[in-house]
Amino acid sequence: MSEQDLKHFVPTPPRLPARNEQNLRHRIQKQCFNNIGNSLLTISVLVLIYYVAKSFLDWAVFNAVWDAATRRECLDISPDGACWAGVIDWFNGLIYGRYPDEEQWRVNSGVVMALLWLLPLMSQRIAYRNSILISWITLYPFLGAYMFLGGTFGQDVGIIHMVFTSLAAGYFILLYLNWVLCAAGQSSLPEMVTPLTSKLFRRGQHMTGFLLVWGFLSILCGVVLAQMHLEPVPVDHWGGLFLTLIIASFAITMSIPVGILLALGRRSKLPVIHWLSMMLIELVRAVPLITVLFMAVTLLPIFLPSGAEPDKLSQVLFAVCLFAGAYMAENIRGGLQAIPDGQYEAAQTLGLGYWLTMGLIILPQAMRLMIPNIMTSFISMLKDTTLVSIIGLFDIMLMARNISNDKNWIGLHTEPLALISILFFVMCYGMSQYSLNLEKRLKAHRS
Amino acid sequence: MTLSDPQAPAGKLSRPAIEIDNLNKWFGSYHALRDVSLTVGEQEIMVVCGPSGSGKSTLIRCLNHLEEYQEGRICVFGQELARDQKSDRFIHQTMGMVFQNFNLFPHLTVLQNCTLGLTWLRKKTENEARDIAMGLLERVGIEHLADRFPGQLSGGQQQRVAISRSLAMDPKIMLFDEPTSALDPEMVKEVLDVMVKLAETGMTMVCVTHEMQFARQVADRVVFMQDGEIVEVGPPEQVLLHPQWDRTREFLDHIL
Ligand SMILES: Nc1ncnc2c1ncn2[C@@H]1O[C@H](COP(=O)(O)OP(=O)(O)OP(=O)(O)O)[C@@H](O)[C@H]1O
Ligand SMILES: [Mg+2]
Repeated sequence: MSEQDLKHFVPTPPRLPARNEQNLRHRIQKQCFNNIGNSLLTISVLVLIYYVAKSFLDWAVFNAVWDAATRRECLDISPDGACWAGVIDWFNGLIYGRYPDEEQWRVNSGVVMALLWLLPLMSQRIAYRNSILISWITLYPFLGAYMFLGGTFGQDVGIIHMVFTSLAAGYFILLYLNWVLCAAGQSSLPEMVTPLTSKLFRRGQHMTGFLLVWGFLSILCGVVLAQMHLEPVPVDHWGGLFLTLIIASFAITMSIPVGILLALGRRSKLPVIHWLSMMLIELVRAVPLITVLFMAVTLLPIFLPSGAEPDKLSQVLFAVCLFAGAYMAENIRGGLQAIPDGQYEAAQTLGLGYWLTMGLIILPQAMRLMIPNIMTSFISMLKDTTLVSIIGLFDIMLMARNISNDKNWIGLHTEPLALISILFFVMCYGMSQYSLNLEKRLKAHRS
Repeated sequence: MTLSDPQAPAGKLSRPAIEIDNLNKWFGSYHALRDVSLTVGEQEIMVVCGPSGSGKSTLIRCLNHLEEYQEGRICVFGQELARDQKSDRFIHQTMGMVFQNFNLFPHLTVLQNCTLGLTWLRKKTENEARDIAMGLLERVGIEHLADRFPGQLSGGQQQRVAISRSLAMDPKIMLFDEPTSALDPEMVKEVLDVMVKLAETGMTMVCVTHEMQFARQVADRVVFMQDGEIVEVGPPEQVLLHPQWDRTREFLDHIL
C-alpha cells in the first residue's frame, strides 16, 4: 500500500464532560430521603443530635455560672448548670501546676520559642530544613530546660548545660537572622563570611563559615545569659498542661529515633542485636504503661549507683520514651517491610553503605508510608501521658482532681474533666488534621 | 587473538575486564549456575541471552555482588571478588547496573536520583553534582524532566533516568538486566538508542537482553545460556545466524 492509499487520521476534538448541576436541596433529597426507611433514619438521627446538643449547651453555656466564690454559691445560682467559676479560679494551676505565678512568663516564652524554632519549616525557601528539625531535637531541650529550671550561669547551671544553652540560643538567633535575610533576598550570614573564610581554609568553606558565625553568636549569647539571673524552679513544682506537654513532646520526639534504632535492630542479622531489640520491644509492648512507669520509678534507682538517684521527671521521661519507642519500632518495621528489595539493590549498586541506604532511601519511604500509623501513635502517646498523675506528678489530670479537694470547690469533678476533654480534643484533632495534610502534600507529586 | 577462539575476549583492547572462572551457584539445593567460565574484555559489548530461568540474571547479579556464589572465582580488573561479603566498595565503584524494573528512588526527583551518589559518596558539591547529572540527562534526552518524580514518567523515560543514575557514578563496566523487557514496544527503541550510544563511547557492557537487533548491531560477542550453563559463545553473526547447537537454534526460532 502506498502513502496515498492510507486514510489520514484526524483526532476527534476534545470536549468537556457534561456538568452535573445539582443544587444542595436536590442532593440532600437524593441521599437522605430517597425512601421511607432512609427518611425515618435521617429524621431520628437529627432529633437525637438536637437533643444531645441542646442538653449539653444548656449545661455548658446557657445555665452555666461563670462568676462565683465557692461551689455552694454556684449551686445556689443555677443548680443544673456547669460551674465554670471553679475552673477559672484554678486555671493557672491547670496550666502551670505549682509553678510560681511571677515566673510563669518563662514557661510561656519557652513554649513560644519552641514553636518559633519550627516556624521556618513552613517556608519552602529556607535551606537545610532537616538541620532545623535536628537542632530542635538536640539543642532546644537545653535552652528549654534553662528557661524552665532557671538558675544562674556558673552557679546552679552546670558547665555542659551552659555551653549547650548558649549554642542553642546562638543557633536560634542565627536561624532567624538567616530567615530575615532570605526573605529580604540577601545571601545568608554564613555565605557572607565565606569570602573571609575562603582565605583561611581551602576545603569546606561553607561549613566553616556557618560554624564561625554560629560560634560567634553563641559566645555573645553566653555572655548575655551569664549576666541574667532566673529564679530556680525545681522540677517538682512543674505541673499542669505544661508538664503534660513536656512529657508528651519528649515521648513523641524521642519515639522516632528510638523506634528507628529498635526496628533496625530487630531486622539486624547480628543475633545479639536482633534478640536484644526483639526482647525489649516485646517486653515493653506486653506490659501496660502504668507498669512501665512504676517499674521506672521503683526499679531504676535500684540499678543506678546510690546517690545518683534521678528526679521523678527524668525517670518518667525514660519510661515513656522506652514505651513510645517500642510501639514506634513496630510501626516503622511495618513500613520497612513494604519497601521492595529492588530499592536496597539499587542503593547497593550505587555503592551506598548500610546507614546511607537506610537514611536516604529506605527510611524516608518507609516513614511516608507509615504517616497515618505514626500519627495514631503520637495521639495515643499524648493521651497516655495523663497516666503519670498516678505516680504523683502534678500533670493536668492530678491538678483537675485537686480542684475537687479544694475546700471551696469540693466535689467539682465534671467541669475540669470537660475542659480537659475539650483541650485534648483540640490538640489531637489538630494533629490528625496535620497528618492528613502532610499525607496529601507528600502524595501530590507521586501519582 | 582470533575470533575463532570463543572463550577469548573480542574487545577492542585485549585486557580482560571481567574474568569468570568455573562459577557455581546454588539456591538451596537448586544448581543455578554450573561451571560458568567467561572472560569479558575491556570495552567489549557482551550480550547474554537464553530462555527464562536459564540463570542470566543470576550470573549478572553475581558479578555485582547482589548474589553470593559458592564455587569458582570472579576477577574484575584483576581484583578477585570476595565470595560472600555483600558490599564491596571497589565493585560498586567499577560497575553500574540497570534493572528490568528501573528501581528508581520514588521519593526523589529525577535530578536527585542522579546526584545522590555524587554528593554523598563522591563528595561533590551541590553545583558540581548538578552539572554532571544534567549533562547525563541531556545525553539521554530527558533534561527537561529533571524536576519530576519517577512516578510521573513513562517507563522508557524512567529507564533512561536509571541509566543516567548509574553513569553518574562514572563506572568502568555497565551491567544491564533486561532493561527493555518491562517496556512497551514504542519505548524500547528510545532506551536501546541510549545503549547503542553508550556502546559507541567504549564502555564495557554486559547486557542480558532478547533484543536481537541490538545484539547484531553492537555486540562483540553473544552468549547463549541454558539451565545455568553457557551453551555457545561467539560473535553475533556466528551465534545468531549459524548456531552450532540445536537448543540455540530452537530458542532463536522462538524469539525472532
Ligand atoms: N532467590 C532465589 N531463590 C531460589 N531460586 C531462585 C532465586 N532466584 C532465581 N532462582 C532460580 O534460579 C534460576 C535462574 O534464575 P534467573 O533469574 O537467573 O533466570 P533468568 O535467566 O534471568 O530468567 P528470566 O529471563 O525469566 O529473567 C531459575 O530457575 C529460578 O527459579
Ligand atoms: Mg532475569
